[in-house]
Amino acid sequence: MTDNYYVCPGCALLCDDIEVETEDNKITKMYTACMKGVARMKGCSSPLECTVEQEAADVDASIEKAAAILKDAKNPLIFGHGNSSSEAQKVAIEIAKRTGAYIDDTSSFCQGPIIEAILQEKLKTCTLDDVRDKADVTVFWGADPANSHPRHLSRYSYFPRGKERQRGWEEDRTLITVDIRKSDTSEIAGNSGFFQIPIKGDAEFMNALVDGLSSKVPKTSFNFDKKKILELSNTLKKAKFGVIGVGLGLLYSLEELEPLFALMDKLNSVSNFHIIPMVGQYNMRGFNHNLFEETGYINRVKFDIESGQAKHGAEYSVVEALKERSVDAALVIGSDPLSSLPLPVARYLADIPLIDIDPCQNLTATKANVTIPCALGGVESGGTAVRMDGVEIELKQIVETDKLSDKEVLTRIMEAL
Amino acid sequence: MGFGQFLAAPELKLTIVTYRDIFQNSALEVSRFDEKYEELSAIIKLDPNDISKLVIKDGETVTVKSGAEKVVVKAQISGYEEKHEGVAYMVNSPWSNALISDNTHGTGVPSFKNFEVVVQSAKGEKVTGIKEIF
Ligand code: SF4
Repeated sequence: MTDNYYVCPGCALLCDDIEVETEDNKITKMYTACMKGVARMKGCSSPLECTVEQEAADVDASIEKAAAILKDAKNPLIFGHGNSSSEAQKVAIEIAKRTGAYIDDTSSFCQGPIIEAILQEKLKTCTLDDVRDKADVTVFWGADPANSHPRHLSRYSYFPRGKERQRGWEEDRTLITVDIRKSDTSEIAGNSGFFQIPIKGDAEFMNALVDGLSSKVPKTSFNFDKKKILELSNTLKKAKFGVIGVGLGLLYSLEELEPLFALMDKLNSVSNFHIIPMVGQYNMRGFNHNLFEETGYINRVKFDIESGQAKHGAEYSVVEALKERSVDAALVIGSDPLSSLPLPVARYLADIPLIDIDPCQNLTATKANVTIPCALGGVESGGTAVRMDGVEIELKQIVETDKLSDKEVLTRIMEAL
Repeated sequence: MGFGQFLAAPELKLTIVTYRDIFQNSALEVSRFDEKYEELSAIIKLDPNDISKLVIKDGETVTVKSGAEKVVVKAQISGYEEKHEGVAYMVNSPWSNALISDNTHGTGVPSFKNFEVVVQSAKGEKVTGIKEIF
């Protein structure tokens, strides 16, 4: 995109067509972004203050204290990263290595398994530009982009004209949703495109589709209308370029990814299908890529302080490490685990020495021993991020700030270690 | 003094399904400590029949309990076309996350999307504030 366009860090779609007007280092007007993007880019109403032990402090003192907490800890945790630039994430990985820390992000309890399978080339994927230009059948499974990624349908998957889809949604595209409830996206797909399944019925519905695609009678224990499954199988079979947007609804329902692998294998033997993970935070996928490059794992890592070697497994996940009380201090960046983790786990996190780095005041900050404000990524500082489809996107700084960027804060903590 | 006063409000076991809402999410971006965020987050959407069973009215508060944790949120009639008795909807928020068990069977993944709760009329109690959840 040209110089006049900026990238929105509101979600992992990273829309790169945003025009803004600024005044006094604030964005005053925005064009093309959705309401979530506007809210993110205009900035929060309660910015984070710099504090040590909940008392106002200067940046130098809080950085020093943060470094002291990490140095004193035997098994610190470094968590967050989804709203950090790739440059900041790389420094966070360095800090984890240096301090023998656990390092993890929210993918640990959401899109992780899918991103791992994509990076290990177990699932066929494509870019969002391919979706816009070629996709004729798009399935959102356990995903509601109308709410989670508001411009997905208008920029890529349904409404736009694309190179090979000149007739857009009216004639050239079919939208399907599979969900346990009629979401706003399901409303757009209409009754013929909406497949309502019972809670935890996803794996069975996938198996039934595989049967349908194999010309067998598709049976489900919940007696889903066989004719409807066969019709859907037929639509999928006829797709020239199919896409499945995998949402949290599907991921939380599957105990293992096998049914999805089996469905994708079948689809690709009779048709042409791709997976795109519906990643939420703007650079969660970037963290997965960066940690994968460094360690061969996308998340749930613990570094050995002596050898610098990475160990990986469920026991190193943020939830298990906190639950087992294996962690004795934590640095949280660009995330609010006190509002997103189950309460018993969050309570333990609030009890240990805690550092919070964020542009905005959040629940984690209310219990943190050190809080350090950073610039708002994509607005007050630039950097690189990885879009939900794996494409790297450059974020430009739009306004000036005297706050340090997330990368600068982490670099200064690293230096103070 | 009515006799009903001595009867405990009926309890209802429900499955909660969480979802995302762009309006609530945008309010979060502005500030999670604003009234607006609480208004759009601290709600539970119920089937009209479940509202009747709880002997409450649309807009009244209910206590939602799960294990040792509980929050008070506002009950709303979901307005969904299809009946969904036994299933209630909560938007993903600190109020819903407060009710999620840390029982992961060692997988590292809590059950964020659907879980069991017990709901009961809160008889005029106020909604739990975000800072009181913790
Ligand atoms: S869809 Fe996502 S990236 Fe695009 S404008 Fe909205 S919040 Fe920003």
